[in-house]
Amino acid sequence: MITVAAISLNVAILIASYGLMDGMVKHLVSNVTNMVTGEVQIHAPGYLVDHSMYKVVKDPTGIMERLGSRGIHGSARSYGYGLIASGNKSAGALFWGVDPDMEKKYFDLADHVETGRYLSSIPKKEIVVGRKLARSLNARIGSEVVLVVQAADGSLGNDLFTVRGILKAAGDRIDRNAAIMHRQDFQELFVSGGRIHEIALNTRGAVPLAALEQIATAAAPGTDVKSWRQLMPSLSDMVNFFDAGMWLFGMIFFLAAALGVMNTMLMSTFERIREFGILKALGTSPWRILGDVAAESFVLSLVSTIIGGIIGVGLSLFFMHKGLDTSIFVPGDAAVSVSGIAFDPVWRATVSVKTILSPILMMCFISLIASLYPAAIAARLDPIKAMTRV
Amino acid sequence: MKLQIDSFRGIPMEKNMSSLVKRMSVLLLLLVFIVPASPCSAMQTLNAKGILDRVDDLFRGKSSKGIMTMKIVTAHWTRTLKVEWWSEGKDKSLMRILRPKKEEGTATLRVGNDIWNYLPKVNRVIKLPSSMMSASWMGSHFTNDDLVKESRMAEDYTFELTFRGKRDGREILEVTCLPKPDAPVVWGKVMVAVRPVDYLPLKILYYDEDMSLARTMYFSHIGPLGNRILPRVMRIVPADKPEEMTEITYEQMTFDLDLPAEVFSIRSLRR
Amino acid sequence: MILRLAWRSLWRNKRRTVITVCSIALGLTFAIFFIALAEGAYEQMIEQMVRIQSGHITLEHPEYRQAPSVDLWITVPPQLRSEVEKWPDVEETKLVILGQGIVKSGAGNMAAAIMGVEPSVEKASSPVARNLITGKYLEASDKSQVVVGSEMAERLKLAVGKKLVIATNDVTGTLVEELCRVKGIFRTGSEEIDAYFIQMPIDFARRLFHLPREGATQMGVILKDPGAQKRIMKRIKDRLDDRPISVLSWQEVMPDVATYIKMDKGSNLIFQAILIFLILFTIFNTLSMSVLERQREFAMLLAVGTTARRLRLQVFAETVFLGVIGCVAGLFFGGLAVVYGHVYGINLSAIMGESVNISGFALSSRMYTKLSFGIFFGSAVTVLTATLLLGLIPVRRATRISIVDTLR
Repeated sequence: MITVAAISLNVAILIASYGLMDGMVKHLVSNVTNMVTGEVQIHAPGYLVDHSMYKVVKDPTGIMERLGSRGIHGSARSYGYGLIASGNKSAGALFWGVDPDMEKKYFDLADHVETGRYLSSIPKKEIVVGRKLARSLNARIGSEVVLVVQAADGSLGNDLFTVRGILKAAGDRIDRNAAIMHRQDFQELFVSGGRIHEIALNTRGAVPLAALEQIATAAAPGTDVKSWRQLMPSLSDMVNFFDAGMWLFGMIFFLAAALGVMNTMLMSTFERIREFGILKALGTSPWRILGDVAAESFVLSLVSTIIGGIIGVGLSLFFMHKGLDTSIFVPGDAAVSVSGIAFDPVWRATVSVKTILSPILMMCFISLIASLYPAAIAARLDPIKAMTRV
Repeated sequence: MKLQIDSFRGIPMEKNMSSLVKRMSVLLLLLVFIVPASPCSAMQTLNAKGILDRVDDLFRGKSSKGIMTMKIVTAHWTRTLKVEWWSEGKDKSLMRILRPKKEEGTATLRVGNDIWNYLPKVNRVIKLPSSMMSASWMGSHFTNDDLVKESRMAEDYTFELTFRGKRDGREILEVTCLPKPDAPVVWGKVMVAVRPVDYLPLKILYYDEDMSLARTMYFSHIGPLGNRILPRVMRIVPADKPEEMTEITYEQMTFDLDLPAEVFSIRSLRR
Repeated sequence: MILRLAWRSLWRNKRRTVITVCSIALGLTFAIFFIALAEGAYEQMIEQMVRIQSGHITLEHPEYRQAPSVDLWITVPPQLRSEVEKWPDVEETKLVILGQGIVKSGAGNMAAAIMGVEPSVEKASSPVARNLITGKYLEASDKSQVVVGSEMAERLKLAVGKKLVIATNDVTGTLVEELCRVKGIFRTGSEEIDAYFIQMPIDFARRLFHLPREGATQMGVILKDPGAQKRIMKRIKDRLDDRPISVLSWQEVMPDVATYIKMDKGSNLIFQAILIFLILFTIFNTLSMSVLERQREFAMLLAVGTTARRLRLQVFAETVFLGVIGCVAGLFFGGLAVVYGHVYGINLSAIMGESVNISGFALSSRMYTKLSFGIFFGSAVTVLTATLLLGLIPVRRATRISIVDTLR
């Protein structure tokens, strides 16, 4: 029946649209958090204020074990500032000491290499640098670089490293300053004795943010636990901005779909006014008519919205896996970094209870109401008039 | 905003040892040089500007070389370096580390506004970006910038003799220096205490604009250095971290020697 | 004749007519509002960014983009500048000097991005000027005053009136130092800006860097109508003759933002397409159903001798009326909504919080719709045309009925 088809289509489109809208925002966040920041980070109190290399996280192994037993994993990192020089060019850099295996497993940066590759699991005095840093040093894969740092014991740490990878755009900070090495190389260079400055946790959305914060705080007493929202207020604001925009758009789409559903139901019910007139003439009470219509349209609405729901979910899933590549709108290199945050051009939908259930319920409700109105009219009409309605 | 800063960004600010410290200390060392160990009365008849001008002129074109020991105490570590240096005029200097053995041969060359470092462990010379000027030299309370600054004492301060008498059991003369309104100096006031007998400095106090003490420089162990009598130990103590300090002990110094130009070259940096 | 019949037939079944007209009208209203909102949001973002940077059009040294440095400066003849300002599409022009240096106080030192600005121009548009937390913004008469960010002020222990020494390399590469005093402290909310930027009057910057009197790093042109960009750029290029000055669009100066907007617009287009599809589908549905409803009526008309052709024309005429009325109504309500949105804006602070900081400028939580004849006209034409085209299908079907079957 046309009615069913029409309502289903409206519902399906609404669901798919919500999926895309929701996806846009969620992916904005996960792109950033999955890359390197993670969802929650643990630092020593006061570390984020001055980044002093002497403010370390106590008992990092214990913390990671406790969290690991609850299925929460992440990466432990060390940081230190210094100078990186190649040929006759030099620049200040922030050096990272990481465990490449942990980074590869729980974060995406290891895959985000433009040329060359990420660090190997074995310390080989290799270094991976941000793309703007590489450019300012005129460094290429295989380039030799000199690292000069103030080691933890005050001595001048220096050594030769080889550039093994140059990263894609990953946000301003990383592009300009990041120089990543194996944690053992870091230890040697900085005489750091295995000090850890940061534990970054990433569950890729499996654990809700508030819960994650709580668990982390419990597992790491005496430390400073922050979520990505506090660590990156710019991104947090951007997400709020998008959320608001999507809310508005969602409203408009909702109204448009509601209009479609209401229309369909109204017309199809009005179509049957002759029928109601006959029934009335035959003696059926108005309430009975109303009741019948209500029951019928309830079933109709339910069936249509469910069918629409299934199609909608199907579409959303399709877009979740396939995604729409918006870089087709942009000629050339679609590496984009705005406000220090790198954007992924592929737009995916997300499927969640929120994006599916509420459209279905709302549309069902609307179609029901829409059917009752004409039925009420029919119920009160003079049967002759109803029957001869043309 | 599109930032055009180079990658220096992100490096934490280091305590800045004012060039003034160095300038003042050199000024006073040379003050002593031109006024040989003689009765003090001559001091009061010369006006302050006259002294400064004479010192400026005398300082120009001079060269020196020597060996010093630098002891650095910070909240997290203590280090002692033995450093050999050469300097000419106000914009050429070469410093080489002799001890500890781990860093022997590490050298810093400054010519004009450029600074190079030689690292013996990796046998490479690197040129420091201009942003590193403010970074501390070898972790001490001195910065690279201190090596570079031009001296403009006569233009930057007005001097006045403000105290004569005993303090802490010693006879001293105290000169108060106030920066001229447009002078590019960060201090609010500098107070210099000298020995009346030969005007050798004992203590210099640096105050910030709010007139709170920012750092203190102590001079001691007065004795022969090269062909002069000078305080052989200088110590800088930041006021907000009194447990930290950098102390320089001059072991040897030679003044006004002929230094061939190759001394201040990259080749000699590597030697 | 047909038209009159069509008209009357419409009014015979008010309910059906009203529903159909409403679908078209509302559909158009939604479409217009949605597009105006989306376009408005982009414009807002671009306008803000462009005003903070160097305008819709930037004039600079040809080599500046490759390797930004204060010694790559331009001199814009004042007559040229005042001429450009008089052009009807130009709102204003501004000169800026950009350099880098180290900033020192008694408490330490840090790297800084130095910006020499014209206070009279920046006062209105710069987020720095609008976000002062203490002190005052710059005036052209200030000799050696600067405004610094809250982060820098904190790290260097600065307050209004305090001393600051700027050390930098002038255009000849010589190290220069100047004393200045803090006139005001700003907080834009962007850590980068609050920790690295200091602004000073452009004449002070010229003194500092030893630039000649009319020299500047960039001249920015802010347009009243962003659409005039290409035209004005060409005009400026012509005026400049062979002078070695590059004329760049903001897209060239901020390619990342331009790319991001293109991508976002792309996704927006997709949304628009979906919405229009939804609306058109509804209209189609409505038209089809109304035709289906009237099968008996048509059968009777055909039975009494109306030609198929006349019937088709009549039904089509009805569709035309419906379409036109619907579109007019849609334009009216859509227009109303857009005008409200344009003048008052839509307050989203309930969802978004008071204001949002992106890349250093606070986007207010009011979204403004774009008031554009093009949007109205385009949407209305699209919907009307689509309605008519879609209406043809049921029209054909209307006449293909079997009279006998229907009338039974």
